[in-house]
Amino acid sequence: MAGRSPAVIAAEDLARRGQVGAAVRACHDALALGDRGAHVHALLASLMLDGDFYDEAIAEATAAIESDPDCSPAYLALGLAYDRRGGMSDQSVLVWHELAEVVPDLVTAHVQLGEAFSAAAFDEEAVGSWKRALELDPRESRATYNLAIASLKREGMALALPLFRQAGELDPSQDELFFALLGLADAPVIAVDPARVKPTREARLGAAGLALKADDIFTAAELVRSALDTQPDDAEALALAAYAYLKQEAANEAMACALRAVSLQPDLATALYCLGVVYARRTGLNRHAARVFIALAKKAPAHALVHVLLAESLLALQRYEQAGRAYRTAVRLDPACVRARFGLAATYLTEGRHAEASWEIRRAAYYDTKRQGLFWKLYEEYVAAGEEA
Amino acid sequence: MAGSTEAHKPAGPVRNALFPVGVDLYPLDDERASFGDWYVRDLEADFAAMAAANLSLVRVFVSWKLFEPQVGQYDDEAEDRLGELLAAARAHDLKAIVTFFADDRLAEMNDVTWAKKRDPRTDDYLIQREVSLVQRIVNRYRTDPAIWAWELGNEAFFTGFASEDALQKWTTALREAIREVDTARAIMLGVDAETLVRETGVDATAAIAQFEYAVSHVTAPYLSYIAEGPLTYGPATYLDSFLLRCNLRSVPVLSDGVGVHSLDGSVAEEAAYVRTALYSALMNRGSGVMLRRWRDMDAEKREPYYRDPFEVLVGLVDGSGDAKPALDEVKRFTRVVARLDLRHYTPAPERAAVLIPAERHEPLPSLAGLYDPRSCLQAYIAAKEAHLPVTLTPEGAGLEGLMTVFVPSAGKLSPAMWVELASFVQSGGSVVLSYGGGDADPAVREIFGVDFLGDHGVRSIVSCRVAQPGLLGDLSAFDARLDLPHYALVGGGSATVVATDATGSPFLTLNQYGQGRAVFIAAPLERAIAQSDPWAAPEPIRHLLRTVYRSVASAAGAGPVIDCDDPAVEIAHFQSEDSDVVLVLSHDVGSKTATLTAERMVASVSDVRGGKPAEVGAKSFGVPLGPNGAAALRVDYR
Amino acid sequence: MAAEAAAQLYQAFVDQDPAEAIQVVERVRASGVAQDALFDLLYAPAMGLLGGAWASGAIDEMAFTQAAVVAEQVGSFVMPSAARRDTGVTVVLGTVHRDHHSIGRTIVAATLKEAGYRVNDLGVDVRPSDFAERVQETGARIVIAFAETMRTARSVSSIRDVLRAEGIDDAVVLVSGGPFIADTGLAREVGANGVIGGAEAALRIMARVARDLASAGGEA
Repeated sequence: MAGRSPAVIAAEDLARRGQVGAAVRACHDALALGDRGAHVHALLASLMLDGDFYDEAIAEATAAIESDPDCSPAYLALGLAYDRRGGMSDQSVLVWHELAEVVPDLVTAHVQLGEAFSAAAFDEEAVGSWKRALELDPRESRATYNLAIASLKREGMALALPLFRQAGELDPSQDELFFALLGLADAPVIAVDPARVKPTREARLGAAGLALKADDIFTAAELVRSALDTQPDDAEALALAAYAYLKQEAANEAMACALRAVSLQPDLATALYCLGVVYARRTGLNRHAARVFIALAKKAPAHALVHVLLAESLLALQRYEQAGRAYRTAVRLDPACVRARFGLAATYLTEGRHAEASWEIRRAAYYDTKRQGLFWKLYEEYVAAGEEA
Repeated sequence: MAGSTEAHKPAGPVRNALFPVGVDLYPLDDERASFGDWYVRDLEADFAAMAAANLSLVRVFVSWKLFEPQVGQYDDEAEDRLGELLAAARAHDLKAIVTFFADDRLAEMNDVTWAKKRDPRTDDYLIQREVSLVQRIVNRYRTDPAIWAWELGNEAFFTGFASEDALQKWTTALREAIREVDTARAIMLGVDAETLVRETGVDATAAIAQFEYAVSHVTAPYLSYIAEGPLTYGPATYLDSFLLRCNLRSVPVLSDGVGVHSLDGSVAEEAAYVRTALYSALMNRGSGVMLRRWRDMDAEKREPYYRDPFEVLVGLVDGSGDAKPALDEVKRFTRVVARLDLRHYTPAPERAAVLIPAERHEPLPSLAGLYDPRSCLQAYIAAKEAHLPVTLTPEGAGLEGLMTVFVPSAGKLSPAMWVELASFVQSGGSVVLSYGGGDADPAVREIFGVDFLGDHGVRSIVSCRVAQPGLLGDLSAFDARLDLPHYALVGGGSATVVATDATGSPFLTLNQYGQGRAVFIAAPLERAIAQSDPWAAPEPIRHLLRTVYRSVASAAGAGPVIDCDDPAVEIAHFQSEDSDVVLVLSHDVGSKTATLTAERMVASVSDVRGGKPAEVGAKSFGVPLGPNGAAALRVDYR
Repeated sequence: MAAEAAAQLYQAFVDQDPAEAIQVVERVRASGVAQDALFDLLYAPAMGLLGGAWASGAIDEMAFTQAAVVAEQVGSFVMPSAARRDTGVTVVLGTVHRDHHSIGRTIVAATLKEAGYRVNDLGVDVRPSDFAERVQETGARIVIAFAETMRTARSVSSIRDVLRAEGIDDAVVLVSGGPFIADTGLAREVGANGVIGGAEAALRIMARVARDLASAGGEA
């Protein structure tokens, strides 16, 4: 494997900074200077893929692999381009299979392989791939979403729904919703020292929220306790407590705190969220969950995930059409919401709209892989391997 | 209404010579068949069914491999089979488009073994052999009334050309060869200039201009590039007409290859898509329609199927020859077209156009060639949603006849184009330009009255605060999530700031320049919509775009004559001295009633196919539309 | 009365007395409160009281946790029933002969089962005689035939023919699949009584058909 030319290194820098046009020009400069190595083609493939220019991405990734058959980032770009372009599932299966061999612990390769199998109508193989992905990483939410869709096709909604919920809870977006409702969406994840928190309600609750965001349940609990000792009827403090209990899998304590909070402040979004989540976990309380999430959707309509939670509770009530509308609202608010995309796919399947369901799953994969930044991880490993050699 | 049972079946014409509808008849219908099975089956029933559907045209494909198995030796049986094919078409009052060099990836029609892998597009000897073949066939049938046109090739064949010169040379040789023998019959090249330039970088515009007909053709790769997504709503439903209008230059355009690209939709979705494409062609100055395929390919069965990269799978009838719902759509459509006298009714003139920047032809590393067509499609959709009679015009083609021009997210325009735009606005035209990144041309200051201070770069939220309510339509404040690649910082100048972002930086400005108006949008909204998810673009942004387009066009006299309250419903207006015809098409999967409003008092409305007129007595009337529904209405005024 | 019972339930939680908690539930149920209303009328207020007691410090963390354990034990007594009641309505469904599409049928069948219908799912490639045989065997009066191609969709008429030949004139035949959506007249042509557009639509139509059959005096 040849080293990278200065022009390629410049292109890498530009690409990392999101300067697509300049990066493409730098890559072409490198090509003009005779650098036809795998790096430059892989970079171009990634840049083309970022712009959804699939045919160009396929051409560049193929050139990279021709230059070096071990160029793993090029396989990634090639597989993603085939998948996103649609109609190339047979080729896609081969690429993901190859990548899973080159980088066996790459979970996404198995997830994508499963989706390619599924698109090519090899359902057993697809399920096998997703299960393999979950063996590698039990918290892989997209594999679980896909298994939920497979279950829906083979067994119906009742068996698929628990898998959707399981996937949803693995999905980091649910926690993000709580912090967004709390007004801490953009707050940094920092350690909180309770000793340095001012002894005011606002300071304590604000710090408790930050502690929860940092997954420091004990500090959060201590701060909430201090707030409640001063004002026991503080609904916001109770909602924080409910969330802390939820994170500790203490559903009844969470329910008790959330119910108390809602009795004090019926439209408190954080409390409604906790209560809805607790209800949604109980078979028999689907109607209650839907009621709570409807209230939450009225209170916080700008959050995509609120509509997703509402939709999931509607699915449980067999109100698929209304669920579809809620999912569509979520997708409009946040096209990158993987959970909404899969849910929408499920509702399309209940209406016999297979092509649209497949498309939603492809879009979910698109956003999920974009979010992970996998290309750069593989690219860096590839560069490092080249330098070692 | 399409999709509904017809109450009236009046006698009358069943075909419209000015708008022929036809279908491609491929030589093989079974993956397992070999090249020697070229049209070997009995096609009598197929032709009878085509005639029953009121089709006028059928495209048949010559197999060079079969016709000339050895150099200079022609297969009599193959020639006779073509003769029988044409005779059968004639017997059913069908006319044929005979395509000479087509590739369907199955019948191996151009796979002439003795050619020894030389390129039939560039090899002089092979071109000579092609000329001989073509002249032999044309000579035999030049007086045959069954021939409607000769066609040189199909999309798959033309994608093998690597340069304009090679294309021009081959095209000229073959065209002249036909003209030597047949001076009367129409000749077509058989390729869409826009899709070909996207696929190969080769611009066929000049070559196509030599022929009597052009085609627009949504190919599978182009669909994947520009509108990969659901087929029954959103961008894909505008693609057939977008390409048609891209190809509308000097010669009439057939909307070609109409049909779905994959078997993963239900037959209901196939029918809905076909209905949309058929009406799109009629509503957008098409000169006819050719449907993608007559009979389904008998291929490996999988659920839920797979895509059709070579456009050979999905037909109007199934593998057994039974009609699919798409064929019923065709029948209904041909009855509508037959009742529309295109000599009497003429389409309302399009006074608004989306400008296709010349940079669209730039190769990589320029990204304009990749971004611009997508931006243009989004601009076209916004104009359609605003119910403007709109077309597309390439940079440099002149702005004569136009009152409003939209320049969507272009990176740059030529100096000559800036001069032309300045003159256009000064003399009363209007322009809407969205910033496309990079340095602004000095002409921006002159025409749009704003000082360009720099590119603020990437944003993930589009914010709008209305400074001057009502100036550019009914705008309202919003914050919506959409990745913007650029945001122009502008200031000073003579323009009125109509709206700003959340921090007061101008977002939308309006400048009176000479007799015209120039609107500047500080971000490449059309590109941003195209590059995110056009099926889920935030409604406030789409509303802003169509509101601005509509407001500017209406003020310039390029607004709709027949208006509609639903952005997803497309309107086409055909005028005559005594009455109008309005075609209505829903780009939505839901049922709805669209309210149409005319400028004059409408006395009555009736289906163009006949039936009792419904009294209106008002300027507005409702049109019920089913999912992807269409209607063709005759409107009589008081 | 409800508030008092909720307070008693709360007290039972705090006293870690599941037996008493159950007795409270049973007393309220015996007073005529429906099972589906117990959660809202009794349990939720009691849990709210528990949360309030913990917030005010009336009970400590340990007591809160132990009370929550009791609440868990009693939960099953107050939960609305998740399973829908048996409607008593039997339906025979399957994908028609020579058609192997199964996804839509599976989803509709599972939806109907979950909603309490007695579903006989015959799978794919089902001959008309098999539909008739199962109708006779089960006494069902509703058949749902699934088809995704035009040819197989048209063959639904033979199901009606076979049913008639077997003397079953009163069966309601419903159809589902793309061809019937595309051509709204097709269902009538093949002798079907209605079109099912999707799983939720199936519930609506089934409810209506079952009601009509019941009011006509026939057994659904």
